[in-house]
Amino acid sequence: MDFKERILTTLNHEEPDRVPVAGFILSQVTSNRILGKQTADFADMLETADLRRGLMDIMNSSWLDMINSALADWFEAAITLGYDANWTIYSQMEVVEEPKFKQGLAMHDIWVRAFELRVDKDGNTAANYVHGLCTTENDWYSWVERNRPLYDELINNVREHHRLMAEKFGDRILAIGSPGSGVFDNTWQPMGFENFCRFVYQKPEFMRKVIEFHTDLLLRHLNAIMDSGVELVVGGDDLGQKTGPLMSPEQMEKLFGESYRRVSEAVHSRKKKLLWHTDGNVYALLDKFVEWGFDGVVSLEPTAGMALGEVREQVGHKLVLVGNLDIAYLLVRGTKEEMEDAVRKAIKDAAKGGGFILSPCNSHSAIDPMRLEWMVEAAHKYGMYPIAI
Amino acid sequence: MDSTIDAANSVAATDDPQAAKDAIDAFTDALQTVGKWFQDGEWFLAELVYAGEISKETMKILTPLIEGGTLESIGTIVVGTVAGDLHDLGKNIFISYAKSAGFNVIDLGIDVSTDRFIEAVRVHKPQTLGMSCLLTSTDMEIGKVIEELKRQQLRDQVKVIIGGAALTQQFADGVGADAFAPDAVTGTDIVRKWSSS
Ligand code: B12
Repeated sequence: MDFKERILTTLNHEEPDRVPVAGFILSQVTSNRILGKQTADFADMLETADLRRGLMDIMNSSWLDMINSALADWFEAAITLGYDANWTIYSQMEVVEEPKFKQGLAMHDIWVRAFELRVDKDGNTAANYVHGLCTTENDWYSWVERNRPLYDELINNVREHHRLMAEKFGDRILAIGSPGSGVFDNTWQPMGFENFCRFVYQKPEFMRKVIEFHTDLLLRHLNAIMDSGVELVVGGDDLGQKTGPLMSPEQMEKLFGESYRRVSEAVHSRKKKLLWHTDGNVYALLDKFVEWGFDGVVSLEPTAGMALGEVREQVGHKLVLVGNLDIAYLLVRGTKEEMEDAVRKAIKDAAKGGGFILSPCNSHSAIDPMRLEWMVEAAHKYGMYPIAI
Repeated sequence: MDSTIDAANSVAATDDPQAAKDAIDAFTDALQTVGKWFQDGEWFLAELVYAGEISKETMKILTPLIEGGTLESIGTIVVGTVAGDLHDLGKNIFISYAKSAGFNVIDLGIDVSTDRFIEAVRVHKPQTLGMSCLLTSTDMEIGKVIEELKRQQLRDQVKVIIGGAALTQQFADGVGADAFAPDAVTGTDIVRKWSSS
């Protein structure tokens, strides 16, 4: 079986030749370490105003190329590691000066979030969401108006990015197309979680409009991804924290149920599969995922108590399970033996009958490439079907 | 929220510090109950946060009545998320609960360097220093701050409490923190106990 048959077989809850391994989004430092590339050190550049401005201009004028080249590295690295699949992701952002941030630069995305652009001494470039840019209902409407021309640009770039990735890598690895964050994150992050909670209770009609807006945009985004021919897409919202969902299943249903159903239907109408990524402890939402029509769930964060055996017991083969390898300890400083144990256990608990893809549960720059290699090795060692553990 | 604010406004209209103090006490009790429901998994984060938001608004109305009056702050807490970490939902919840319990809280925000933590301990002389950390890649920052407190002979002047998804009791013991709080309500209980002893 090749990577594609392997993944598609497991997505149908049938047993492929062996358990597939998928990569979570990789950081540039990780991919460079895997590929033996030098990571460019921008940190010093950011110290001087002129150079900083220069960097900002370069990033803004070559945004699509930059993303394409970073993603190409992630994919080469994923292929080097022996992954069967990896995420593609394209986000539309503008780099702006922001004196409040340590290195003076922020990125504003078209969903109206501010990200801090940070380059550390190891050359790791990270753009992390810090806050939203609209705290009132009026703010939100004016931002949407202001950004309107950018939505078409987003859709065109998404189509172009995924087409290029398919052209370059389609015969070597399966792309899992991701639009980045989903409707829940896109709703709360532009206004901050505290304001979002207030609006949910105080301005339900406004919330309904925001959710509908993001659902429409997400559907355009997903369709543009699927135009490139990807078989599998992954939506993503952080719906859980360490001890449980951020919102009760009832409230999630009331606010987002219709939106999630629309997303699933749109993907299924094109005969593709839809995975959903969420961090945290989400046992209480698993049945909802099935109801909303998701085909699988990605992450299953062990440090938040997600155990594959329990998840399988709760949902049976109604969901494909993806992830579960710990990134807090195991993939940073775990021993080879611990890695073998964890992979063996994951396979034992979830792989029977197909419907399981092994993967790190998330990604950050401290993840060690050698341990990713151990993960793949162990998956090949213990993951041959029929599973004999 | 509206009905709570109406109630707070009618208490404020009496201009009676004792009535305001009673209202705050009742409110704090209610928040405790919400916290327990959250710990028991009956309520979810959004509800806990909204309760925190109601508390913020209510306290804005009621505290001016008692300022300089009988109700003193029961202690100062300096709180921040460690360097390199930008997660703040958990820290903010702890802050709103600690404030509602009567603490004066100095919020240093996110991505707080060792130097800023130390500086704040020097300037504000808090009884408690709280640090939040959700990333494994930044958990060593907590050790750095504690070591620096020791080096500058400040460690015995301040209790250290830590919380956040990356941390455990074991980690707290290893790094020499005084307490680990798995959630904001437990954290508030712990600092309340410290302040009364
Ligand atoms: C929401 C979230 C985000 C949001 C943060 C938004 C914000 N403004 O805070 C965004 C999307 C920005 C984000 C970014 C990232 N995240 Co994040 N995130 C989460 C998530 C899903 C929930 C965290 C949360 O807010 N929980 C709700 C709050 C209320 O819970 P809490 O923080 O635990 O706080 C409670 C207690 O711990 C306690 N508490 C917390 N602090 C304190 C402090 C004191 C003094 C006290 C007493 C108590 C206390 O009280 C709180 C209430 O009870 C977690 C998953 C998880 N398992 O938690 C991942 C998680 C923390 N993130 C993770 C990662 C890897 C990242 C990124 C690196 C992702 C990436 N690939 O880019 C970036 C890092 C950005 C940075 N440099 O900080 C990993 C960390 C893994 C690890 N061990 O290192 C997690 C665990 C997800 C995972 N699957 O592994 N994230």
